[in-house]
Amino acid sequence: MHSLKLHWMAFNSALQAKLEYRADFIIGMVTSIMLQFAALSFLLVVFRNTPSVGGFSGTQVVFLFGMTAIALGICELLFNHIWLLPQYVVTGDLDRLLVYPVNSLTFFLVSRAELHAFGNLLSGVCLGFGSLFMLDAPWYVFALVPVWGACGALIYASALVILGSLAFKFIGPFPTYLTIAHNLLQATRYPISIYPGWLKYTLLILIPFGTFHYLPATWIFSGASVVWGTLVAPIAAAAFVFEAHMVWAWGLRKYESTGS
Amino acid sequence: MASAIALARDEFAAYTALFSRALKASFAYRQSLFTSMLATAIGYAVPLFVWRHVYRTNPGSALVSARELFPYLLLASCLNYALTMNVENRVGSRIRMGLIATDLLKPIDFQFAQLAHALSDGLFNVFLTLPIAFVAALFLGQALVPASAWLFGYFALSTMFAFAVAFGISFVLVQAAFYTQTGYGIHVSRLALQQTFSGVAAPLLLYPDWLRNAAHFLPFRHTIHTPLSIYMGWLRGGEIVRALLAQLLWAVGLFLLGRWLLRRSLRRLEIQGG
Repeated sequence: MHSLKLHWMAFNSALQAKLEYRADFIIGMVTSIMLQFAALSFLLVVFRNTPSVGGFSGTQVVFLFGMTAIALGICELLFNHIWLLPQYVVTGDLDRLLVYPVNSLTFFLVSRAELHAFGNLLSGVCLGFGSLFMLDAPWYVFALVPVWGACGALIYASALVILGSLAFKFIGPFPTYLTIAHNLLQATRYPISIYPGWLKYTLLILIPFGTFHYLPATWIFSGASVVWGTLVAPIAAAAFVFEAHMVWAWGLRKYESTGS
Repeated sequence: MASAIALARDEFAAYTALFSRALKASFAYRQSLFTSMLATAIGYAVPLFVWRHVYRTNPGSALVSARELFPYLLLASCLNYALTMNVENRVGSRIRMGLIATDLLKPIDFQFAQLAHALSDGLFNVFLTLPIAFVAALFLGQALVPASAWLFGYFALSTMFAFAVAFGISFVLVQAAFYTQTGYGIHVSRLALQQTFSGVAAPLLLYPDWLRNAAHFLPFRHTIHTPLSIYMGWLRGGEIVRALLAQLLWAVGLFLLGRWLLRRSLRRLEIQGG
């Protein structure tokens, strides 16, 4: 309970500090929404040339866009500090964190909220719920959206932690390996069935981004097994979070401070 | 006259030194080169896979043939990456930390110094795209070769103008950082506009009319679509000259606009820190 309170205080004070910069907040909101619309404009061009992509209609693909943005938004709001890990390893700033009486990974992740998260969350909610509304989805699908979004955020954060832990071994200030996870997540805005086998395998098993929106979508839109829609995402999230913790522990064992 | 020439030569030497130092700094962290290349390849592969699927499921229905589309998309990705410059984040972070004061104290032109940095970004990015282009060339083969050496010459000239336009856009937009104290939002906004209007993810021919018309009035198409339309042979004779002139006009106009905006921004600059 005490640890939970410390986590909340760290997150809340980081968020309050960020919100002090009103211009940053507005710019962050506007730009993240602009990026979502830039991706949607590509979707518009694609659907001008085809009636469906991977068996999904335009509105159904918009659902995938929305869910990806929700997962991205939640992760940016709650777990965004991981992007600074390579820099901290170089400068030795991680030392301070390691003496706190809390779980080092979760405390590190929550202690830097990012304001453009709100733009992604807002556009994700509008696109996700809007597409389901247009598709006349049943009520329980609407109710499952927050669960899928949370699972997506956990899977994405875990992927970032796993790749970010490479910073302990390959020391350098740039988080370029994290961009791999980001670009793979963005790839799941389209039905995974259109990709070659190796990429399908990567997105469904190796880094299971496809489990929190693509597999549920096959259940909602194509009548695939209900298991895809309800159980796979939480199981994949739990397994991937566990894996991330293991990799983080491995990384900490490799960590050498920069000295005095 | 002789002293003016000597002064200009010294200043040029300063920009060259700035360019080579910035380039060396980019190559300093070799470990991140591979992951950066991989991340870039994934990002640009997604539109390729989407279009591959669209063309397989709808053969013969599109305005641009598959034989033209895939070389276009590959070259568009490489060109877009080569034109990726970090002007907004670099200037934005220096404004935020107050380091802009030392930049302004140097006896060189701020805009040209940023251009030298941007050129080093461009050359570094060309190096990163070469392996990706090489692998793709193995698959696409002859389809990547332009119709004539003349077209390639015009394309090379157009690419230089495209760089000037891209720098002009970044430099104009970064002036907002003097007011907002951050370059991140400006950088992302420019990326979003570039993504939508440059033709990087699809030739503008495939766009709906209203989006294509909007792109026509903006400079972004001159960074990707214009050079590649020349390369692909979609423009002929007088059309090529008109396209090159339009690029040049945008480049000069944006450069002068950036210069004028910089003068105004410096008047209200507050140096951070202390």
